This record gives sequence, structure tokens and C-alpha cells, in this order.
Amino acid sequence: MNDWKKIKHLYLRAGFGLSQDELVSKKKSKWSKEINQILRIKDQSFELSTPQEFSSMVDGVQLQKGESDDNKEKVQKAKRLTPLVNADWVRRMATTQDPLLEKMTLFWHGHFACQSKLPNMASIQINTLRKHALGNFRDLVVAISQDPSMILYLNNQQNSKKKPNENFARELMELFTIGIGNYTENDIKEAGRAFTGWRANPIKGKAEFIERRHDFGNKTFMGKTGKFNGEDIVDIILEQKQTARFISEKIYRYFVNARINDGQVSQMTDVFYESNYDISKLMQFVLKSDWFYDDVNMGVKIKSPIELLVGMMKTLKFEFKAHRPLLGLQKNLGQVLFNPPNVAGWPGDKAWIDNATLLTRLNMPGLLLVMNHRKGGKGKNNKLRNSISDLSLDISYFQNAPAGLGDAEIASRMVDELLQGPLTVRKEVLYARLRGTTQADRNKEILYRVMSLPEYQMC
Amino acid sequence: MKRREFLRNASLASSALMIPNFLRASFFGPQHMSRIGKTLVIIQLSGGNDGLNTIVPFEDDVYYNARPRLAIPKNEVIRLGNTNLGFNPVLSDLQGIFEEGEMSIINSVGYPNPNRSHFRSMDIWQTGSASNEYWTTGWLGRYLDSECRNCMPYHALNVDDDLHIALKGMQKNGFAVKNLSKIKKAAGSPYLQAISKHHHHDHDHENVEYLYKTLIDTQSSAEYLYEKSKVHTSRVTYPNHKFAKDLKQIAELMTADADIKIYYASLGSFDTHAGQRGKQERLLKNYAESVKAFIADLKQNGLFDDTLIMTFSEFGRRVQQNAGNGTDHGTANNLFLMGGQLKTAGIYNDAPNLSDLDQGDIKYQLDFRRIYADVIDQWLDGDSKQILGHSFESLNLI
Repeated sequence: MNDWKKIKHLYLRAGFGLSQDELVSKKKSKWSKEINQILRIKDQSFELSTPQEFSSMVDGVQLQKGESDDNKEKVQKAKRLTPLVNADWVRRMATTQDPLLEKMTLFWHGHFACQSKLPNMASIQINTLRKHALGNFRDLVVAISQDPSMILYLNNQQNSKKKPNENFARELMELFTIGIGNYTENDIKEAGRAFTGWRANPIKGKAEFIERRHDFGNKTFMGKTGKFNGEDIVDIILEQKQTARFISEKIYRYFVNARINDGQVSQMTDVFYESNYDISKLMQFVLKSDWFYDDVNMGVKIKSPIELLVGMMKTLKFEFKAHRPLLGLQKNLGQVLFNPPNVAGWPGDKAWIDNATLLTRLNMPGLLLVMNHRKGGKGKNNKLRNSISDLSLDISYFQNAPAGLGDAEIASRMVDELLQGPLTVRKEVLYARLRGTTQADRNKEILYRVMSLPEYQMC
Repeated sequence: MKRREFLRNASLASSALMIPNFLRASFFGPQHMSRIGKTLVIIQLSGGNDGLNTIVPFEDDVYYNARPRLAIPKNEVIRLGNTNLGFNPVLSDLQGIFEEGEMSIINSVGYPNPNRSHFRSMDIWQTGSASNEYWTTGWLGRYLDSECRNCMPYHALNVDDDLHIALKGMQKNGFAVKNLSKIKKAAGSPYLQAISKHHHHDHDHENVEYLYKTLIDTQSSAEYLYEKSKVHTSRVTYPNHKFAKDLKQIAELMTADADIKIYYASLGSFDTHAGQRGKQERLLKNYAESVKAFIADLKQNGLFDDTLIMTFSEFGRRVQQNAGNGTDHGTANNLFLMGGQLKTAGIYNDAPNLSDLDQGDIKYQLDFRRIYADVIDQWLDGDSKQILGHSFESLNLI
């Protein structure tokens, strides 16, 4: 197989596709070079920041019992800053030199699905996920059990020795680590006791361990007895190889194919378990496997809305003046960061698609490329259109294709650059009856047509 | 042969049945069954409607003590027969419907271990899961999966820009549309027409096929719905707001015999934490006026006997009012059924017991999934056990 197709596959799956500049540089590159390039993390220190206005807004607010209306109002205002964090993260995905790190962070955000309402907690959680995204899974699980958003979302806030709340313990096992059917209801109760005492301070954006709320007594969990705390529980869960299997399956479905190949997942499970849950080793193994590049695995995944959006930002080099349109598009496409449907995360694959989300997907390139200068009209979609019109966009690479290429060659070139699976329409459809009189205008129309294909939804 | 298929075939055979509903009513009188059979209309009140100020327990001192600035004065309540419950006066438009025996009020509907988050509780109501289960499909979506394998997506129509999870199944989805001419334009652009026309099947790429199939179905659905919406213009005057417009759209499609079994509409902004009276009463008035016009429209076209309208909200609100003259998130709530053929019209069960609360909230008496089960089994001819994952005891409602 040629290197170019493998490189495209690698960047689509381990990142968000290729920007215009990258198209130029990667086309003639070698896969052996690119795989090392993508695996080597250049900047592990990047963090999302909390919008500056936040601390001045909620300074001195105490979100404890009997909160005043004045406090509530301040907090409501502060919550409106969370979309800024969302937009910052999306922009980071589109511009980072470490696409794998950001893609892994996004994967974990879907895995440890959690709603974050306050901007400080949203950025803190993503920074925590990124810190451990390619690190050790044990550290990641422990960190998320002490993450303020998660503590609030899964009611560990209410989990105390006197009144245990087992919500976090249940989801920790069912969705985050070992999967349903591998523990008893009693294990859940006992694990719940072990996590007592961790509370979030939403305004400070910190979790605190309150000793007097913790249950220091003996717990019997998965056949072992001891004065376990939350970390001990995580260790016991990770001793079970089923945990390595559960995570490997999920990574396989996300990065390789929604359809599981048992043998390949077993290989992953061994690598993950034997490396003591080293996520980086597992990802290296997957991305370097021959089977990762098998035909059955290429171009068969439906891009998530975020993958699609970020991919388009890279292809079209577009940027909105405001952050709202990025949120509006996420909503219409059916995936808003920090707002998963529930703790099970976004189901993905075909579930991304219904009549409304599909039309948004197929009409997006048109909105961005063709209609972005038009304004006017009432209604929700026109509001979106109007805000979309405040965008800058640079498609010079596509417009200034080498002279002498006709429409058909241009179309072939873009198909090769932007699609991973085969084209299922007659190619002429991509360049029949173009309106543009200059080649640059015609290229823009072809670009719009290629990106409006169902095939473009695939990666 | 299933009943609806029979009806469809029968309609081909018999020219009498070819007459659209709106004409048929005058030929056969309103008792005649519509050709499309039973229709379900769901109305979702989003944000958590305060059930206690909707259906008011005007004999209960606990209610008046808990809500010094919010309670509806006893002398303003519209009495519902000889019961201890009455309508908020802004619901006066529903009084006739209630008195005609075309409305059931079911009290204290909820589920065990209630969740007070809008998001999560709505998720529970729409998927039909228990509060500790996370499902990725909706109860009506699963109905489509099991009973409607060959239906077009518009068979379950969501009058909204986004498709609610309630109408998402594993294999089948409902269809979301707010504005028919807009979607017709968006789905039918020359380029999208061209690619669906020139698409050749690629059986090695199942997901691409799925996208094209969805596109082609969307295009023909948009076309179909748009044409159906032009068949009949309602002769009933609806109030002038968005929700009423949605219901009018539904009535027009029903009257035009559109092959739609389920309609899903919503009315929002019931999250009244502060200054509740004005806000909630505006919304309730809007609801009552619109529903009154809708029912009048259905009656005029002989459709009401074949229609079941279910109104729900994701939760009710705290019994005690808060300092801002509003109410915070609560739990169990009342649910309404309306239709021409209800088995149990009137007040179905006792008013909520406000002296026996769970952390200040009404304890649920009836699991909402028992109502779903009746709707599925008795109205949609489905199998509730399969669709809801458990069997729920019938309430004998429908």
C-alpha cells in the first residue's frame, strides 16, 4: 500500500486530518517518518485557561447551603463563560502540533463523559485528561475520581460515611473501567464507601478530601478486605485483566473500527495489561499494527461532529470572530463538548446521523464557502448563518492549484486529498455545470462539492 | 396482515376511502375512522412544569402554607367536578375538554430514585430507562425498530430542528422538521439531488450506504411532507404563537392523511426558579389555547376519536416556594392524556399527598413507564415488554 494513503489514515484517526500546509508536506513523506512524528509529543505543558473575567465575577461567592440569589446570579453569569473554554479547546484541536494528544484527550472526554457547567471546572477537567491522556491509565482514573466536575456530576459531593452515595462507584465500574457484569451490587456499595469524603469546591475549582466524611472502616471489595480508599479500589479493579480488555475494546471502536475484531482486541489487551496500563504503549501498538491499515478499517468510520468541525477548520483555515458559531454548529451537528447526553457518553457511529444532523453536515460547506457573504432573514438557521458570516477563511491552496489542470483533474486531486474511502457518485457530478469563470472560482465550487459529499463524512 | 397495511390496501381498493379526511368528515360524519388509524401526539413541556400550580390542590393547607406568595387562591381555581383539584384559571380553555370527558389527569407520575437535573431527567423520560440506566435509544425509536421496519422516517415526526432521543432507535429514526419549506430547500438543493441520483451502491462500505440512504429518505420525506402540508388549510383559528403554529401544522398533516403515526411537539421555558406566576401562566395559557384550537380542528375533521395526546414534563417542582417567588426542581408530576376515546377520563388517581414528602418533593405513585406501556400496547399496537425492557402493569388508561 502506498505511504500517502496510510499517512492520511493515520492523521484522520490519530488526529483531525491534514491542514492545507500539511497536505503539501505530507504527500511525499514516508509513513515511517510520520508515525514517529505523530507519536512524539512536542508540548505536553499546554493547558486551557479559565476566562479571566471568571474570578472577578465570582470572587467571594460561597456555593454552600443557603446560597443567596445574588450568588446564584453571579454563578449564572459565570456559566456563560463556559462556551469560551469550549471554543478555545476546539481551536486548539485545529492548530496543535500534537494531534494525537488532543485526540486522546477528546477520546477520554467521551469516555469519562461529564457535564461541566462552570468554565473553571471545564478547563481543569480537560487539562487533567490531557495530562494523563497518553500516560498511565491508573493515574488517569484516580485523577478523574478527584476531579471537581466529576464529583459534582456523579454525586460524590453527597457521598459521606453517614449517607453513602454509590453513583460514582457504579459508573466507575460499569462505564469507566471494567464493564457491566464483572462485579456485584455489594462491590458497588463497598467501593462507594471507599470514595467517601471527596468533595468539590466549585468556585475554587478544586476537590478536597474531608476526613470527617470519609469512611475509614473495613470494606470487602472483589473478594478482598481492607481499609480501602478510592485509590485502592482503582488498583483492585485494574488487577482484573477484563479492565484492560474493556478499555482496549473502546479504543478499538474509536480509533480502528466500530466493528470489533476479537483477535486484534486480544492483542491490544495483552499489550495494555502487560505494560501495566501504559496508554502510550497501547496507542503505539495500535497505530503501528499492520491491521490498523487494513482496507476494512480505512474510510469506514463516520466522523464525530467534532472531528468533522475541526477537520473543516483545518481544510478551510477558517476562524470565526466570535465563539458562538462554534457552539451553534456543535449543537446542530449533535455533539456539544462538556455536554454529553449522559454519563455513557456519545454513542457514536450511526447514532450521529439523523435527517437533521445529516443535512447540517452536508450543508455546512455551502454555508461556509458559498453563503458566508449573504445576510438577512429571520429564524434560527439564519441566525446561525449570520454569525457564520463573520468568519475568515483561506482556501488559497485549493484555489491556486497548478495551472494547466482542468476541472476533472482538480476534482480528482481534491478527492484524493480530502476523501479516504472510494467515491460512490459519478465523478462528473463534482465538476458538471460549474458557474465560475476563473479557475480559482471553479476550484472553490469543486471544493464545496467534494466537502458536501456523504463520503466526506467518513474517515 | 397488520391493521394499518390492511387499511392502506383497502384504501387503494375502495374509492370511498380515497376521500381525504377533511372531506370525509362531512360525508360520513365525525364518527368515521380516519384512514391513517390511531395517531399519537406527544407534547413535552420542557424545563419542569410546576404541576401544583397547574392542577391546584385547593383544599390542601400544606399547599397554601408552602407557597404564601405563589399559591393560586382557592376562589380563583376552576373546579374539576367534585374533586379537591382544580385548574389554574389560565387553563380555562381546557375546561370544556375536561367536562366532555376528553381529558385524563394522572397525578404523581414519576420514577424511583428521581433525578433533579433537567438534562438527566429528560433523558430518562425520553429513553424510558430507569434512573440508574443509560440508554442510547428512545422509547418511540425502539417502537419504530420493532413495529415499523419498513416505514419512512416521517412516520414519527418531531416538530423541531433537532431530533429528540425519544425518536431515535437502533435501526430507525424519526424525522425532525420545524419548517417544511426550509427543509425541502435544504434537502433538495440541486447538488444534493444530483449526488443522490448519481450514487451507485457500494456494499463494502455500509456506513456510506447508510448516509446515502438517510439523505435519499430525507429528500423524499421532505418532499412528501411539503406536499401533504399543502393539501389542506385549517379552518380553525389558532392563537398567534409558535407552539400553536406547530399544532396547526400537525392538524393539517393529519387531515391530509399523511402517513404519520406519532407527532412530537414541545413547549419550553418552564424552568421557573424566580417570578414564577407570570412566566408559568403565560406558558400555560399558550398551551391551553393552542390545544383547544388543535382539538377543535381535529374534531372538525373527524380525527379526534383516533387521536391520543399525551402531555408530560421531565419533573415537577418543589412544594415549597423559594425566596425568589419561584420553585426549584422537584420530582413526581401530573401528566395529561386527551382524546375522544379515553377509558378513564377525569382525575385518574388521588391528588399528591403533600404531608408525606421525600426531601420536600412529591413521592411518585405511578411509574411513567406504566403509561408508556399502555400507550404502546393499547394505542400503537406494539409490544411494551420488548420496547421498555420490562413488563409494566397496565393502568387500563386507553
